[in-house]
Amino acid sequence: MTGAGKNDMSLQAGEAGQASPTSTARQASQASQVGQAAGARGRAARRPQPRHRRPPKRRRLLQSAGLVAMGCGVLTTALGMGGWALTGQHTGLDQPGQAGQAGRAGQVPVPPGLTVHAPGGASQRQVPSPVRLIIPAIGVSTRLIRLGITSNHTLQVPASAALAGWFTGSPRPGAVGASIIAGHIDSYSGPGVFFRLRELHRGQGISVTRANGSVARFRIIAVRTYAKDRFPTATVYGPVPDPELRLVTCGGQFDYATGSYLSNIVISAVLVR
Amino acid sequence: MKANAKFARIYRLFGLAALMLGLLAGAAPASASSGSGWLRLAHLSPNTPPVDVYLYSFHNSKALIVVPHVAYGTISDYQKVPAGEYTVAMRAAGAAASSPPVISATVNVTPGAAYTVVGLGPAKELELRVLADRLTTPKGKALVRIIQASLRQHRVTVRAGHSLIARDVAFASVTHYKVVSPGTWNVSAAGRTEHTSSTITLAAGTIHTIVVLDDPGDIRLDDLVDAAGSKIAPAGAPATGFGGTASRPGHSDLPWAALVGAGVLISFAGYRRVRRPVGAHAMGTRGPSATV
Repeated sequence: MTGAGKNDMSLQAGEAGQASPTSTARQASQASQVGQAAGARGRAARRPQPRHRRPPKRRRLLQSAGLVAMGCGVLTTALGMGGWALTGQHTGLDQPGQAGQAGRAGQVPVPPGLTVHAPGGASQRQVPSPVRLIIPAIGVSTRLIRLGITSNHTLQVPASAALAGWFTGSPRPGAVGASIIAGHIDSYSGPGVFFRLRELHRGQGISVTRANGSVARFRIIAVRTYAKDRFPTATVYGPVPDPELRLVTCGGQFDYATGSYLSNIVISAVLVR
Repeated sequence: MKANAKFARIYRLFGLAALMLGLLAGAAPASASSGSGWLRLAHLSPNTPPVDVYLYSFHNSKALIVVPHVAYGTISDYQKVPAGEYTVAMRAAGAAASSPPVISATVNVTPGAAYTVVGLGPAKELELRVLADRLTTPKGKALVRIIQASLRQHRVTVRAGHSLIARDVAFASVTHYKVVSPGTWNVSAAGRTEHTSSTITLAAGTIHTIVVLDDPGDIRLDDLVDAAGSKIAPAGAPATGFGGTASRPGHSDLPWAALVGAGVLISFAGYRRVRRPVGAHAMGTRGPSATV
């Protein structure tokens, strides 16, 4: 602390010395002990400022340049973020033949064609038709609509990406056989009802509420991904001897040339008795 | 009377199903679905008293499960079991587990296949048969086979509407599967002195076993759905996505990130230029000695 005290004193001494030339020799020797820095600081503080400023004209010019740069920077940032967001969102507007349908959030076109409803089997008479699908693990609770087959023999898909549908050509959930429920992974603009289907794994539960309020509970036994060009229709739609449930959606890479995903995700579950 | 018999049968069925579940809990922990098959058990010998059914995994002397008091006409649901060899043995109801079985059979369950192990024939000639059950149908068709388990009517002819399914099926025999046109049919079974009929829907893509059974008063039909699939398998893969959440192939976020980064840098530089205080400039960027 003594050093700091000396320093303070020497600063006072220095100022006093410059203000009044009658400083003592003792004060001068004290000031010399703490070096020149304090004295220099004292001089700098009193130096007239304008001498070291840039000429006002140049300064204004530099400031204007800064403003312009700042504006350009903000613009560039905005441009970058906008472009990033747009390409990340994929509006689908660049897809050929689909421009007219884009922009209707949650609404996707139904392929045209006759919907086929086949009569229910004897074993299905006791099992009411399904009305709601609940998958607690991924927070899905959706009304089930009816799906048939389109005129080009493909599976009809729900008109809304927010709903799943039961294929009426398949057994009712809870009856013997593989019951098919299909839903969209996404619409043109965002996630669909089965967006998180890929997160499911073996052992997790799925419930189907039937028209009479009864609930069929299923347990997942397999989560599989199939390439669309090798989709195993016989395995997915073919007969099985016990009551099963198959949830079908899309997955994998999206092919912008065809406007279609390249894979399907199929969740298989068996009835818990 | 008929209703009572039916309830008794349903009751027995439930018992068998429940016990089969017990079997599964013990025998099939976490078996992969690809490595398992299906098995169901049936007692279709009319004059054989109720039996206790034992199921052993092969070369294991301890039964995986014992299903007590299985009576004529009882057919269990299919149960998924790990692929492998099993022995099914029947003992008279209440007989000691150590006593020699009345009859036994070995079934080799291959992955993805389904089997019915059925006690057939008169009590004196009881046999335990392993039936391989079909799991595929011709496109748009149904499959039907007949198990003739009526002792009172030795030969039975079965028709769906006017079309013949099987003629003069002998007691204790099992027909091959027959391809039938899908539809809801009046399925009739006629023996020499007794006959019965039942409305049965044979949907496309379904496989049925129709059992002819002795029942008090008359023969009757039991329709079992061996397996069921979609009536029509839709073509191709379902179009269940429109790309709204897809990442663009070959698309990289890097150029946009670079642009944003550059923008932020330029903005910052401009900001500093505009806001730089003059005194701070003199003090901060040049040493005191340089200003002297």
